[in-house]
Amino acid sequence: MTDSTIIVLITLIIVLPIIMTPVIFFASRYSERLRNSLAVITSGLTFALTIALYPAAVQGNVVQQTLFEILPRLELSIRFDILSFCLAAISSFIWFLCTIYSLDYMAKEHACSRYYPVLILALGSCQGIYFAGDFFSLFVFFELMSLIAYILVIHEETEEAMRAGYKYLVMTIIGGLALFFGIIIVFELGGTVSLGVGSIIQETSFLALIAFICFLIGFGMKAGMFPLHVWLPDAHPVAPSPASALLSGVMLKTGAYGLLRVIFHVFSVDLMLSGGWDTILGVLAVITILLGSAVALTQTDIKRRLAYSSISQLGYILLGMSILNDNAITGAVFHIFSHAFMKSILFLAAGAIIWKTGIRKIADMRGIGRQMPVTMGCFSVAALAMIGIPPLNGFLSKWTLSLGALDAGMPFYVLVLLISSLLNALYYLPIIIPAFFDVPGGEDHGTGDQHEIKFNIKEATPGMLSPLVILAICTLVFGLTPNNIVFILSRLTSAFLLLGGAL
Amino acid sequence: MFAAASGHSFASPEVYQSALPLWVILVPILLGTGLYFLKEEWTKVLKAISLAASFFALAGVMLLFPMVISGQVCFDLIDFMQMGLFFRIDLIGWIFALIIALVWTLATVFSFAYMDYEHNLRRYYSLLTITLGATLGVVLAGDFFTLFLFFEMMTLSSFILVIHEQDSEAMKAGMLYLYLGIGGGLCLLFAVMMLFSITGSVDIAPAFNLLGGQRTIIFICFLIGFGVKAGLVPLHIWLPQAHPVAPSPASALLSGILIKSGAYGILRVSLVLFSSPDGLSDAEASYIFNLGNSLMWIGIITMFLGAVMAILQSNMKRILAYSSVSQIGYIAAAIGAATLMNREGGMGFAGAVYHVINHAFFKAGLFMMVGTVFMFTRELELPRLGGMFKKMPLVGITFLIAAFGITGIPGFNGYASKTLIHDALLVAMEHYELFSIELAEKIFVLTSALTICYFIKIFRGVFLGPVPEKLDLEYRLPVSVQAVLVSFALVITGIGLFPNFVLEKIIIPAASILHYEGPAMEHLHHFHFFEWHPLEAMFIVIALALIIYIPGAWRGWFEWKPPWWLSIYAIIYKPVTEKLVAAACRMGVLVDSSVDNAYNRSGSYARELCSYVVDIDRGIDKFYASSGKAARKLADRSAEMDSGLDHLYEKSGEAARKLADRSAEMDSALDETYRKTGRAAQKLARQTTDLDKVLNKVYDQAGQKTREEMEKMLAEKKNKEDRRERRKWNIKNLSFDNLLLVLVLAVVLFIIFYFSRF
Repeated sequence: MTDSTIIVLITLIIVLPIIMTPVIFFASRYSERLRNSLAVITSGLTFALTIALYPAAVQGNVVQQTLFEILPRLELSIRFDILSFCLAAISSFIWFLCTIYSLDYMAKEHACSRYYPVLILALGSCQGIYFAGDFFSLFVFFELMSLIAYILVIHEETEEAMRAGYKYLVMTIIGGLALFFGIIIVFELGGTVSLGVGSIIQETSFLALIAFICFLIGFGMKAGMFPLHVWLPDAHPVAPSPASALLSGVMLKTGAYGLLRVIFHVFSVDLMLSGGWDTILGVLAVITILLGSAVALTQTDIKRRLAYSSISQLGYILLGMSILNDNAITGAVFHIFSHAFMKSILFLAAGAIIWKTGIRKIADMRGIGRQMPVTMGCFSVAALAMIGIPPLNGFLSKWTLSLGALDAGMPFYVLVLLISSLLNALYYLPIIIPAFFDVPGGEDHGTGDQHEIKFNIKEATPGMLSPLVILAICTLVFGLTPNNIVFILSRLTSAFLLLGGAL
Repeated sequence: MFAAASGHSFASPEVYQSALPLWVILVPILLGTGLYFLKEEWTKVLKAISLAASFFALAGVMLLFPMVISGQVCFDLIDFMQMGLFFRIDLIGWIFALIIALVWTLATVFSFAYMDYEHNLRRYYSLLTITLGATLGVVLAGDFFTLFLFFEMMTLSSFILVIHEQDSEAMKAGMLYLYLGIGGGLCLLFAVMMLFSITGSVDIAPAFNLLGGQRTIIFICFLIGFGVKAGLVPLHIWLPQAHPVAPSPASALLSGILIKSGAYGILRVSLVLFSSPDGLSDAEASYIFNLGNSLMWIGIITMFLGAVMAILQSNMKRILAYSSVSQIGYIAAAIGAATLMNREGGMGFAGAVYHVINHAFFKAGLFMMVGTVFMFTRELELPRLGGMFKKMPLVGITFLIAAFGITGIPGFNGYASKTLIHDALLVAMEHYELFSIELAEKIFVLTSALTICYFIKIFRGVFLGPVPEKLDLEYRLPVSVQAVLVSFALVITGIGLFPNFVLEKIIIPAASILHYEGPAMEHLHHFHFFEWHPLEAMFIVIALALIIYIPGAWRGWFEWKPPWWLSIYAIIYKPVTEKLVAAACRMGVLVDSSVDNAYNRSGSYARELCSYVVDIDRGIDKFYASSGKAARKLADRSAEMDSGLDHLYEKSGEAARKLADRSAEMDSALDETYRKTGRAAQKLARQTTDLDKVLNKVYDQAGQKTREEMEKMLAEKKNKEDRRERRKWNIKNLSFDNLLLVLVLAVVLFIIFYFSRF
């Protein structure tokens, strides 16, 4: 695949959703069907275009192209490498499925004419983040996405949603400002913010540390890193379920992606290690993991529990980044994929349950598995993957991360991962086991008659189930087979990044 | 990935490559999965397929025997997960696989009758068959990664067997089982990962020399991981809860087979992984000794506490469950004794493996016999049972045989393995001459006596005494149940009568895989079970049992219920899980909410800061306002001044006005004067008129002439007036000549005056 083809494809991937946004908006005036199908087509097309880049990614093509200069030495540019491809592919895939899921889910909701254009615009800006060729462009798309996501967060427009949205907005702006400050420092120190240069900052200095911390705040905010995670458990549950799935499954990863770029493009592995900055990230990651898991245990609302679980899972990715060896980076990138699959299933399944029965409290979900076997089956697969039961993909990412930690001589990190797994078990099993083996409304055991209760199967629509089933199959396949695409991509990405990550 | 003959020195020269192990595992798993999608009503199909699966497994394992006896069977499946699957079956694994497949087949047959009284058969048969595959996978695995995978699978699938009843008791027990299973699984995973990270391999092969300083933590993690499943104290707490609630055939498998997978793991770790083919230095030997000693003591404690707890129960399945704990203690103690003897631990190894075989048969058999009683009576509590010997003589006899087996009565199979374990302890005692081993041996004897006691208790409770009225019915045992129970009894007596057969055919070859040597091994080759020496120990045990049982039963010691707070659950688990998890949660929530608070507070601080800014702003505003006020005051002052001036002006104006008034007054006075003069003149005129009138009268009277005169007078008067008018001073009236006259006069006067001075 030639470089110019790649550039055209990338430009299309970014521009197509952005152009389609007003089209969808105006289409909604004429027909809902047209609006919905346009949204699905756009996200499907974006996914297809992204996948078309696969051969280039596997061949190790790296393309860096300046589109135009905004200010001297400050340009809008695009970049393609395997890391970009990985994240863009998983994002557009999940986005596509969530858009399909939205069709039925949102049919009951208000303001769909706002929802779909915003959803597609967020897709465009998200892809823009991944294909941005320098930190300035990345920042522009990052801010764009953050602001658009606000509209998704407050979609319900309840008081709770508005409050959560306000918190999200304030924190996002703080994060954006920190990011901007970091970019300015990098520009000052290195004279460029391009991703095509390799490590921009060559030596540690106080200013470089400040830049690192600024990036950590900016991207860590989005990734839900302790202590910047507080917006997440408020914002994710209030959004409509497909949007929650995207927020938790995909948009959080932009923070992780940004940090990967910062670690390997602004600084370098040697610099991180010599400055001891990996320890900062590691400590924060450990706290994030344990805190997220422990707090998730106390939540009674299913979506809040899932949101806290996201915090802890993002901690895994940060932990992988902080270890900085081959296995750990592979694990981190693989967990970006795994978590996207697992958490999307969990949120979508929870959404299907809420949509069908209105149940949000975990205690009310007894016996739900017998009413909605497919939904709850997919939920269970994802929950078991979260716990790290082999052969699901969550086990593979945990295994790889742990090996990375052990390679680095950090058995403590492995212990943290395992404790977190145990906590995962403690908060996921009480959802799935009573769902299948208990009766609704149920403290009333022991009569022995409960087996006689006939459960009417009240499943969600096929449009909502098919994304769930596809994702559940992904969860299984990408854990079971040893040389699956996702794992190979993670390995290649890790090798690519550790080689310097530049051109 | 870890190729078959990776050339470790333990491997026998013969290595057979065969996919048979994979099929032995895969077929039950696939068939079991398939069963789940059948219809609940097709009970015959369900039974047939599950039986076929277990027969297939049994046949497959049997087919492996010729290869296994002369070497190893290896199979490598790289294309599975990251590490690949690797199977390697040697004789040790094969023994386990054989008893698994054999007992499973019997249990499946037993299920046919038993489960007819139960619900949800589809799920039961499906999971039963899947669990068979997973359990076989554990013992056929060639590396720890594969072993771990099947171990996890076994935990999950057997969980569903445990909670089959789905009442609250079963759910509670099941959750405990699952949590402990997953926790144990994670410990196991940690150990496997450490092993892989340090040695670069997860092969089940001697690696003691490679492990270095991490070996203790690896051993402990393995021990916890396998110990949970095996039911070692204090990790056994799930066992007495979970085994009784499961359906009886499942209980039989849980107690007879599944806990052996834990024992198998411990055996593999302590006798294979923690051994060194190249001999050990003194420090290493003492390390291994300590390891073995600890393991042996864990076993001793487990067997003793298990037996004590068993004797205090009144639920017959619970007694058997605690009995399983106790028996697994025997196995662990034997493995420990083998470990601490190092190369000379052949006796302990033989005892452990032999006891695994025996326990599988008598415990599975016992659970099924008890299950048969339960199947008809629906009763598990000893006080509410009795006299069943008369009602079900076959069950009574087989139960008695199995009980003889487990208690180690000579002539039944338990005697052989217990004798070997006892001998292993004696050998270790002779070798090291340590008090601790001697004490262990004493506890072993005591526990064996207690075992007899609780079996007397259970036998008396179920089979002897009067039949309760409610249960006084005719019971007809199905043929399948009879066949299963009889075959158990036959195996137990068969092994019991010919203990050397099993020992020589499979156990000694198995021991030779591990290269045991020394006098113990020699002894083992020519072991005589029915000599006075081993029999003597057994008689001591029986005598001790009677000494304990008779006063105990008489005084009702065995009815004592230990207080709840004395249970291991209350001492260890409750505080650890509840308090620790609660504390962790609370801490997490605290940190989380305090971070949240910090943000909110920083928000409110920012707001306060803003309000300060507002204050400053207001201050400036105030300043302006006050300066404005000052300005206004100034302006006021000037206005005042202005008004003062104004006043002044006003006053002066007033004065002027007054002046003007005055002048006006003056003017008016003048006017008055004029008016007065006018009035006077008028009066005068009126008087004159009067006078005139009078005169007129007079003249009228006087005649016309006079009137003329009068008119003359009037004209005169008019002239007078005119004159007076002319007399008024007015510049107009000044005639030029008068002025001229005055001027001339003035000039003259001036000249006169001027010249007169000089």
